[in-house]
Amino acid sequence: MSDKVAKWIFWAGTIISVLVLLVLTIDSHKQFNYLTNVDKLDARVIAGKKTFEKHNCNDCHTILGFGSYYAPDLTRAYTRLGEDSIQRRLKHPESVFSDSFRKMPQQNLAGQEIADLIAFFRWVSEIRNNDWPPQHSETRWKRSTDKMLASAAISPGAALVLQENCLDCHTLGSRGVAKGQRLEWIAQSRDALWMADFLKNPEAIAPGVDMPAYDHLSKEQRLKIAEFIVSLKTHRGED
Amino acid sequence: MEYRSQRIAYSYFVIALLLFGLQVVTGLWLSLSYFITIPQAIVDAFPFSTARAMHTNLLVLWLLLGFMGATFFMIPEETKRELLWPKLAVVQLILLVGTGVAALVGFLFGWTQGKPLLEIPRPLDVVIVIAALMFLFNVGLTMFKAKRWTVTQGSLLAGLTFLSVLYLFGIPFYKNLTVDWYYWWWVIHLWVEGAWELVVAALTAFMLIKLTGVERKVVEKWLYVELGLFLFTGIAGTGHHYYWLGAPRYWLWVGGIFSALEPVPILLMVFDTYRHMKESKLPFVPKLTWTYLVANVVLHFVGAGLFGFAHTLPMINYYTHGSQVTVAHGHLSFFGAYVLFNLTFFYFAIPRLKGFPDGQYKEKRGYWGFWLTSLGVLGMSLAFAVAGVLQTYLERVQGQPYMIAQKPIRFWMLIVFAHGILMVLTGAVIIISHLLTLKPAKA
Repeated sequence: MSDKVAKWIFWAGTIISVLVLLVLTIDSHKQFNYLTNVDKLDARVIAGKKTFEKHNCNDCHTILGFGSYYAPDLTRAYTRLGEDSIQRRLKHPESVFSDSFRKMPQQNLAGQEIADLIAFFRWVSEIRNNDWPPQHSETRWKRSTDKMLASAAISPGAALVLQENCLDCHTLGSRGVAKGQRLEWIAQSRDALWMADFLKNPEAIAPGVDMPAYDHLSKEQRLKIAEFIVSLKTHRGED
Repeated sequence: MEYRSQRIAYSYFVIALLLFGLQVVTGLWLSLSYFITIPQAIVDAFPFSTARAMHTNLLVLWLLLGFMGATFFMIPEETKRELLWPKLAVVQLILLVGTGVAALVGFLFGWTQGKPLLEIPRPLDVVIVIAALMFLFNVGLTMFKAKRWTVTQGSLLAGLTFLSVLYLFGIPFYKNLTVDWYYWWWVIHLWVEGAWELVVAALTAFMLIKLTGVERKVVEKWLYVELGLFLFTGIAGTGHHYYWLGAPRYWLWVGGIFSALEPVPILLMVFDTYRHMKESKLPFVPKLTWTYLVANVVLHFVGAGLFGFAHTLPMINYYTHGSQVTVAHGHLSFFGAYVLFNLTFFYFAIPRLKGFPDGQYKEKRGYWGFWLTSLGVLGMSLAFAVAGVLQTYLERVQGQPYMIAQKPIRFWMLIVFAHGILMVLTGAVIIISHLLTLKPAKA
């Protein structure tokens, strides 16, 4: 190889690659408005991002898969946990994670900071990012639940979920309100017996949780609800 | 040592080495936190996030101080004149070390910009920019005055300038998280797969010319080709970080294709080093320096090339992104490409700075440091990789909640910690003390 060819490789390689990056960066900026819902990026969301940075959350958690790997990814935290669960974790990490082998620091956040963080997580959860992460894919949850509810004759558990207005606070498939946790997410981590107990007296298991007790239901009814929720599992996990 | 102003390099090396030791210690605390339960009271006072900010910032700081010291060592010999302002180089070091100490203490009290790896708060960024400008002026003007342009000098100056400009993209507050991460990668990715490669390739070419006696023309011709391929694959290869952050879908193609080619220039670098060694007109001494140089080239390829390729394609990365697989790659590639480079250069330069005949020194103890640290980091990276594959399968494929999927990973973090304390820390202490008390070969 001659010196001339070597120099040519250097300049051609560099310039082509720089051009690719710059042209696509300009185009990406044009698409960010749609992909990240810039119209919903309001002052609350920005305040939430500042709070997120102030407390260095990103050096334990990942968000969009970036950051540290010591704690769960927060990209879809809003989707799977809902507002009340996020608030409890931020307010009282020492009690929510008292049984966990890994702790979250008590940051003594002000009420406003927590509200801002929730607004931030809500905005992040709607970023169109090719449906990552796979384990929190809302698309997958919705598709699977909708299919199940459409094909099966309505189960007694599902009927009870509707009758007891669970979806006024929880999300399920394409329905519900993200105040409590997404039912498909609960299905990933809890078994039916635990859920039936929890329904009877949530306060006893999760102190401070903003959920009414369903002690007016019989144990059998509570188990029916729990079994229905367990059947929402989309992934094969540990039983 | 032929020029007085080269002596400044030594202070940079000493401080870099001490920070290296501190970095390893903070790393031990991080791996410990993964397999034992740290009580709430300690977590409240000294959270994982603080230790991690220290660990990564120490890494960046000591590597950069090493590069700067190496630059100050090389410039006079390449330009055949003294550095223009040796005293400015001392002021620059004081500023950088002061900033580093302020940042580390600040982290302990929660003073942070809150962006991973770029936690240094904005007021301190100003000091860093000033120090970087001092550095570029000092080095650049020395080169301009000397008017003895070589490819080695050119790529070094280009790399250092590129490095400094990119840092600016990490300073502003971005309202949009997606845009924030988009430019965060202009700092992190374009550093390690662009600017730093330029710097290190130039400094390695300089060492090879001195150590092998191979003609400069030959070394520099291949340097051109290597750098062209590094930049061709690396710059557009930034796209492999844009798969899942809310950027357009074409990045899956662009990132996948360009980054899949990233191992090619590293392989060429391995091959070039081998060829220069074959054509060497000088004996391979000191042996330890050569051991480092060869390990640098080989582990650069394994850590950055192979471990990087393993999870760079979008269909694999969809499952591995943001898991311990990334950590495995991060540790072995930084160690292979940059830590070993710095140590190679220190072993090359310090005996010359101290005026040992033919740059020869007593090597024996240094081998212990080399093998313990290298095998330790290799073992550690493999343990991270096992943890990463477990996490990928349990959490991403099976959909188990994060903390449930973390349970079987704890054991592998114990393995990481064991490698860290028994091999990496021990080895690092030996390396540091050996380098700081280097003795001439025959007393």
